Amino acid sequence: MAINEEDIINEGYSRSSHDLAMEKFHNKAHFWGRFTLWSAIILTLLVPVYLSFILGYHPGWNIILTAFIVYAGIVAVVWILEPMMYFPILGVSGTYISFLTGNVGNMCLPSAAAAQNAIGAEPGTKKGEITATLGIGAASLVNKMFLIPIILGGSVLISVIPENIQQIFPLILPAIFGGVLAQFAIKKPIYGVIALTIGLIVNLTPLVVYIKMLLCLVLTVTICILIEKKKEAKA
Amino acid sequence: MEQAMELANSSIVWIFAVLVLFIVIFQAIKFIALATKAGKEIGMTTVEVKSALKTGSIAAIGPSFAIVIVAISLIPFLGDPLTLLRIGVIGSAPIESVGASLGANAYGTELGSSDFNVQAFTTVVWTLCLGGVGWLVFTALATRSMSKVEKKVTNKNNKSKKIMTIVTTAAMVAAFGNLASAEMVKGFEYILVVITASLTMIILTTLSNKHKINWLREWSLGISILASLFVGSLAIL
Repeated sequence: MAINEEDIINEGYSRSSHDLAMEKFHNKAHFWGRFTLWSAIILTLLVPVYLSFILGYHPGWNIILTAFIVYAGIVAVVWILEPMMYFPILGVSGTYISFLTGNVGNMCLPSAAAAQNAIGAEPGTKKGEITATLGIGAASLVNKMFLIPIILGGSVLISVIPENIQQIFPLILPAIFGGVLAQFAIKKPIYGVIALTIGLIVNLTPLVVYIKMLLCLVLTVTICILIEKKKEAKA
Repeated sequence: MEQAMELANSSIVWIFAVLVLFIVIFQAIKFIALATKAGKEIGMTTVEVKSALKTGSIAAIGPSFAIVIVAISLIPFLGDPLTLLRIGVIGSAPIESVGASLGANAYGTELGSSDFNVQAFTTVVWTLCLGGVGWLVFTALATRSMSKVEKKVTNKNNKSKKIMTIVTTAAMVAAFGNLASAEMVKGFEYILVVITASLTMIILTTLSNKHKINWLREWSLGISILASLFVGSLAIL
């Protein structure tokens, strides 16, 4: 350990100490991330096991399997695609929190992006990852603060809201997405134009949702890289 | 149906739901603590850390509201604790409702139907819990490998580091370009809302950058959502 530290000092202290701090952070994130994820997995699966075998309401494996296979047919690709697509943005710790707390696209990513924007941290950098983690962590807590009392208070609260106001609710998502998109488009307007153009074309096709996402991601990233390369060649 | 809902709201389901929720909250607090410490070590100021936390919280208010609305629509079919468990963890509400009806169908009934019994409810719970665990299992198993691959790419040289930054920025823009356009194809008021939110965001960010107004930067997403909802509501109502 001591030798390592000396090496680091020789290499230029400030840079490597940052790398070291980040590595320590990642190791802890891997430990706590996996610990919390596996605990949640076990606890979640205990619910149906309890209903089936302790209370004796088992509907039969055939029925469970039938339902699960159809459901998996829809979501199984997404189990793998989503974490992989978002990993470069969320980083190690962001991935662990986002997929446990859920609502990655509509809550975690916007919160991470807003936090990075607020303090001017680039996504994909060390500062960017730490900022994303702070943003998503805070978002997760706020989300639970909303969720718990409203579920406990039951649907009463919502039934009090007049119907014409309830018509606005579906507009919340496009509002979030439009705002976050602009946040990035300010820095790289050309990226925004490309992403939106490809997004609109892809979304007018009858493709499956996750294929649309993947297409949009791959095409936009490829075109942006090509543009940057061309710029570099010119410069 | 009644018996199934009694089971759905029974204390045993509550206990599991509360335990899982506890893990989610514990994880968020633990990671905030880890990130705060690491942030200081890589040279972030306390002001920056606080600002990131504050901005994340504000940005989550709008989405949380939308999420809770969908969650509430599931309560009549799944009961309070299961809804909390599914929406509080992983839960993207539209997907959960698909899974719930698939489970009920496999048992040969429908959600909310009079012959929706305890076995049908158990089938739904199996479907949702097995289905939801997929993301968690993949994330738990693969995050370390994904991180190694990323490190290999970025550690190579400055050029690949630069490309990595382009990829992340482009991926983020692409993700939101796709999400926004999926909403825009739904109709005029959706287009109007996306455009208003974008314009408000551009104006607010320009203002806050120009005059170095920190609080405006933290609230910009919240204000953009409100402003665009207001304009959207004028179009609907």
